[in-house]
Amino acid sequence: MKKATPYLLLVPALLFTVFVLAYPLVQNLINSFSDVSMITGSSGWTGLSNYRHVFEDTLFWRSFANTSVYAVVGTALALVMGLGFALLLNLKLGKIDTIMGCLYTVPWVISPVVAGFAWKWLLNDNFGVVNYWLAHLGVAKVGTTWLGDPHTALVCVMLARIWQFYPFAMVMFLAGLQSIPQEEYEAAAVDGATMIKRFFYITLPNLKTVTSVLLVLGVIWSFNDFNMVFVMTRGGPMNSSMVLPVLVREFSFVQFDLGKGSALSVMIFALLTTLSFLYLKVISRGESI
Amino acid sequence: MKKTLLSFVMIVLALLVLLPVLWTLSTSLKPLNEVNKFPPEWFSPSMSLNPYSDMFFYLPFSTYTLNSLIVASSSTILTLLFGSLAAFAFSRFTFVGKRTFLLVFLLSQMLPGASVIIPLFQLLQKVGLYDTYGGLILVHTAVLLPFVIWLLYGFFQTIPRDIEDAALIDGCSRMTALRKIILPLALPGIGATALFSFLGSWNEFFFALILTSSDSTRTIPVGIGLFVGEYLDVWNQMAAAAILFSIPPLILFTLTRKTFIKGLVAGAGK
Repeated sequence: MKKATPYLLLVPALLFTVFVLAYPLVQNLINSFSDVSMITGSSGWTGLSNYRHVFEDTLFWRSFANTSVYAVVGTALALVMGLGFALLLNLKLGKIDTIMGCLYTVPWVISPVVAGFAWKWLLNDNFGVVNYWLAHLGVAKVGTTWLGDPHTALVCVMLARIWQFYPFAMVMFLAGLQSIPQEEYEAAAVDGATMIKRFFYITLPNLKTVTSVLLVLGVIWSFNDFNMVFVMTRGGPMNSSMVLPVLVREFSFVQFDLGKGSALSVMIFALLTTLSFLYLKVISRGESI
Repeated sequence: MKKTLLSFVMIVLALLVLLPVLWTLSTSLKPLNEVNKFPPEWFSPSMSLNPYSDMFFYLPFSTYTLNSLIVASSSTILTLLFGSLAAFAFSRFTFVGKRTFLLVFLLSQMLPGASVIIPLFQLLQKVGLYDTYGGLILVHTAVLLPFVIWLLYGFFQTIPRDIEDAALIDGCSRMTALRKIILPLALPGIGATALFSFLGSWNEFFFALILTSSDSTRTIPVGIGLFVGEYLDVWNQMAAAAILFSIPPLILFTLTRKTFIKGLVAGAGK
């Protein structure tokens, strides 16, 4: 009886994990090899044809490219921005640090849906502030539809995503900066190292672990991100900002082809599992930050 | 001098970063005819709180708010209940498969929502929980549990075992020790976890969007997400809804900032 106690304690949590993780994953795999339509129902095993349909769909390749850019470039820029803010907060100017630290974190705290809404309104063609200011500077005309133009839609969504993700990087970088031993800087100062040299030879090497954790996490999260794209563009115009999670919904609940949607989501799962193992490797090597 | 300049830069940056939020706030206070006006103005004499009451009248936001409150608080209670049992097992027992179970919970946090949504949708439809509070609460609980277990596990680990051992010697059972000693001592940590859990469910959009289909179960983010683009003419009411919806997260975050960030930094690095 005593031996069973820890397992009994785990049972409720495990039941939930099975219900939302194990069962759906297996069922998803089965779906991906079957012809499941929301209209006509399931009509049996079809082998790899769902996967073939996904690969033959040019929209898949476009979404894959979009998602990769969105995840990799977006995360990299958010990290640069986060590091900049962290360095600024680490100058230790006094009370203002705490207040500014709080204000800089706001984009991360508000819901992605609200963030998407706010950016969409900010970029509004006729009544948005951005166009008004750009017109003043003579850069763009009022009426420029940033989100309605296939060339700029994805960039705009990425901008909003960077805006929402950088505070997380900032918080993590700040913790990393504060754990760098002061003696290293003092010694370098004695040796006459310039500020730039100190940054490249002391600060950056010390932030290596945090940076790799952030990079992997950021790419995984952005790769999974459905919210920002859905709220701001729904993948449009003309699928120019389509990303994989939104495409899963498109295949399954707009085209009602659950089999094709499942095949795509199995592929996303395989890709992200690989990335997750990379993450585990990164954190187990770094141990502490 | 240098300090003043840097402080000035920091304030300008804060304004830039907050621009989308401030613009939404300004919009939420304007009457409709001034929202659709060129050139756009930040302040106007006719600003009022009217859009905040109009949105409850013209859009179904009172139902959405009620739905969000029900779903988020039920999910919080369930995650805390089951999460603390699991975290207690991990922190106070040694058993075969402990590392594996911990790893399963760690990895399930990374699980892409897109790769489970279709079977979940089918399952909920089959058992009659599609488009119900119950279905959404179950899914939110399951999605939030892994992270909650990790957070609570961390907090439980910080409570010294000596006190508990003393209680066990005095004839307390393990469960009494959990109830009478660990839970009260872990209360600040549990509080922070509860807030995290509540916000996780409150802000969640993807599952809530796909697993509901009627206004009587939709949560606020779904309402906002679906209306953007549909009700273009009431930007001020939409902005008001967005601002109101953001207030709980902002308050909760300010309250628990320190604990939360500490747990986060430790959790992501572990």
